[in-house]
Amino acid sequence: MNDFTQTRRDFLKNSAVATAALAAGGALGMRPAAAARTNELNILCWEGYNSAQVLDPFRTSTGATVRAESLTNDPTMINRLRAGETNIWDLINVNNPWARKVMFPEKLIKPIDRARFEPYFDKMLPGFKPPYKWAMDESGQHLLGMAQRFGPFSFVVNTDKISRASAEDQGWDLWNDPANDKKYGIQASDDWNVFDLCCISGFDPFREHTEEEVAKYTDTAKRVFKGARMVGDLATMNQALVSGEIDFYLTGGTYSCSPARADGNLNIRAITPLKGPMAGGKGGISWTEITSVVNNPNLSTHAEDFLEYVQSPEMSHTVAFAEGTFNPVTQMGNPACFDLFTKEELEIIQWDSLEEEMARSVEYDIVPDYDRLLDIMSAAKREASGA
Amino acid sequence: MSIFSPGARHALPVMLFLLCGFAAPLLAVIAFSFVPSRTFSLWQPWTLENYAEIFNSSSYISFLWSLGLAAATVVILALICYPVAFGLARVFGKYATLITLLFTLPLFVSENVRIYGWILFFIKKGVLLGTLESLFGYAPESILFTTGLTLLGMVYVYLPFMLFPMTLGVSMVPQQVRDAAFDLGATRWQVFKEVDLPLAMPGIVIGFLLTFVLAVGAIAEAKVLGGQRIIPIAHDIEIAFTYAQNWPLGAALSVLLMLVVGTFVLIVLRRFDLDSILGRR
Repeated sequence: MNDFTQTRRDFLKNSAVATAALAAGGALGMRPAAAARTNELNILCWEGYNSAQVLDPFRTSTGATVRAESLTNDPTMINRLRAGETNIWDLINVNNPWARKVMFPEKLIKPIDRARFEPYFDKMLPGFKPPYKWAMDESGQHLLGMAQRFGPFSFVVNTDKISRASAEDQGWDLWNDPANDKKYGIQASDDWNVFDLCCISGFDPFREHTEEEVAKYTDTAKRVFKGARMVGDLATMNQALVSGEIDFYLTGGTYSCSPARADGNLNIRAITPLKGPMAGGKGGISWTEITSVVNNPNLSTHAEDFLEYVQSPEMSHTVAFAEGTFNPVTQMGNPACFDLFTKEELEIIQWDSLEEEMARSVEYDIVPDYDRLLDIMSAAKREASGA
Repeated sequence: MSIFSPGARHALPVMLFLLCGFAAPLLAVIAFSFVPSRTFSLWQPWTLENYAEIFNSSSYISFLWSLGLAAATVVILALICYPVAFGLARVFGKYATLITLLFTLPLFVSENVRIYGWILFFIKKGVLLGTLESLFGYAPESILFTTGLTLLGMVYVYLPFMLFPMTLGVSMVPQQVRDAAFDLGATRWQVFKEVDLPLAMPGIVIGFLLTFVLAVGAIAEAKVLGGQRIIPIAHDIEIAFTYAQNWPLGAALSVLLMLVVGTFVLIVLRRFDLDSILGRR
């Protein structure tokens, strides 16, 4: 005990001071937080909305502290709200069905002002005119968020190896051809992988499935994962395509291949099959992001302002080409926004075929027996590794 | 010591902090493993269905991959690190600091960045294969996205966690004891077996444990370098908590992993005297 020179009295005195300081610090820390909702905004989003190009002008004009956290899957973001973070976040940006089918019924988000925001839908590309289904609740009464980035999302090929025409024609059967074993990768995006495995199996993902269909799906999942050269993220997929490790990859679209195209690799191209097993014989699936206001009991006063801010022509263009991936935006229906896109930018987002690809696609929806299909797929993935 | 003693009273803030920050999340995970599958509330009838589901599924494959790869990592690292540790403690002299720095520097770069660096090194037309092809016209098959490369990634990432405790262990062996052994006619092998190894064991065991526990939870190496050719248990847990929206299953997998690793650690610690491992001899 010799090296401990403090007396008990000193120690008690110092502890009391330290405790008081901590308490004061805590109180100071609490005060701005409680009062800051007029001066801060927290956004949970896919990458792009969290970039300085998007946030800095808003920070400057409002003087607000804007914090944006980017995640790359919808369920994780929704989990955060479910776990009690509705009192932290003001805006959440996820894909089309989640607002209407999950978050609004679970009271995780709240409606926005129709009169204020529907004029923006009026200016969007024709497919998004109000009342745009995925921005509305099931009753059609409440506007649940704003649509902005979107795109077809089926698969990506290296057109030096497989021509666009042949890939569009062969469609999902590329994965039913044993000659393609080890020539493809799978971008790990579990919900989309489930959709795609249904398409390869020859049936529509977005409905309840029979036992025979599930059995076929199980075989397909095992075969497709066993035949994959690798499973990984979009950066790995693009890199593998460009380097020649693989010729094509499952689950991808303008969103995932745009970084490779922006890098000059225009032979890397998103493909939407000409035909497929979905309603109306469609072969592709598309996504649209909906940004909603979180049901935060102490909502930031800037939440709706930000939604309006990102819909301006300039900011829409910035969002389309913010860091990360590059995507078409709904406001391209407004000439003031469209004219901001350069020829190169339009080439990167495959504007030449965007309309026909969207027409060939059904919209991302929730799969009724998703849990079962996901478990089968996870097991198939694991068992492929076991082999 | 009564709970009203000054010592206990002063320990109270720390105890509360540990309870809230350490014990409570663990308890929450354990509790969640007993609620019905794919639900999000603790306040409902508890069940063992998540554990039954795991035992009836192929999850054992992921457990085996994680445990197997972690064990392999520990063995390979032990073989690599012992000579280096010996060198750092006894041979390299004034260069030891420089060499230590070289081993430490990569720790300042994020693990993911370092692993993606390996991708650029090994990918077709990358640093290795591209150089071989352009200089010698030799274009072998790429070894990316294989189990072997996953293991290489783990060995690379966890090397410092084995090396530094081992170096401490080796430097704890008094030179006089080694000299005495040599003077009494012991061979190099006998000195290694009878003196170096037993006396350095505390550091070696800590290195083994640290590396094994970290490597069992490894996920990035298999995901990136392995191209998910194998699915370690940490990846299964991640899928359960995210895409599958099945917190109870993820929690049950986590509890089982903690039990397996905890049991292993306890067995090892029972074989070795905890006091001597912590240096209180």
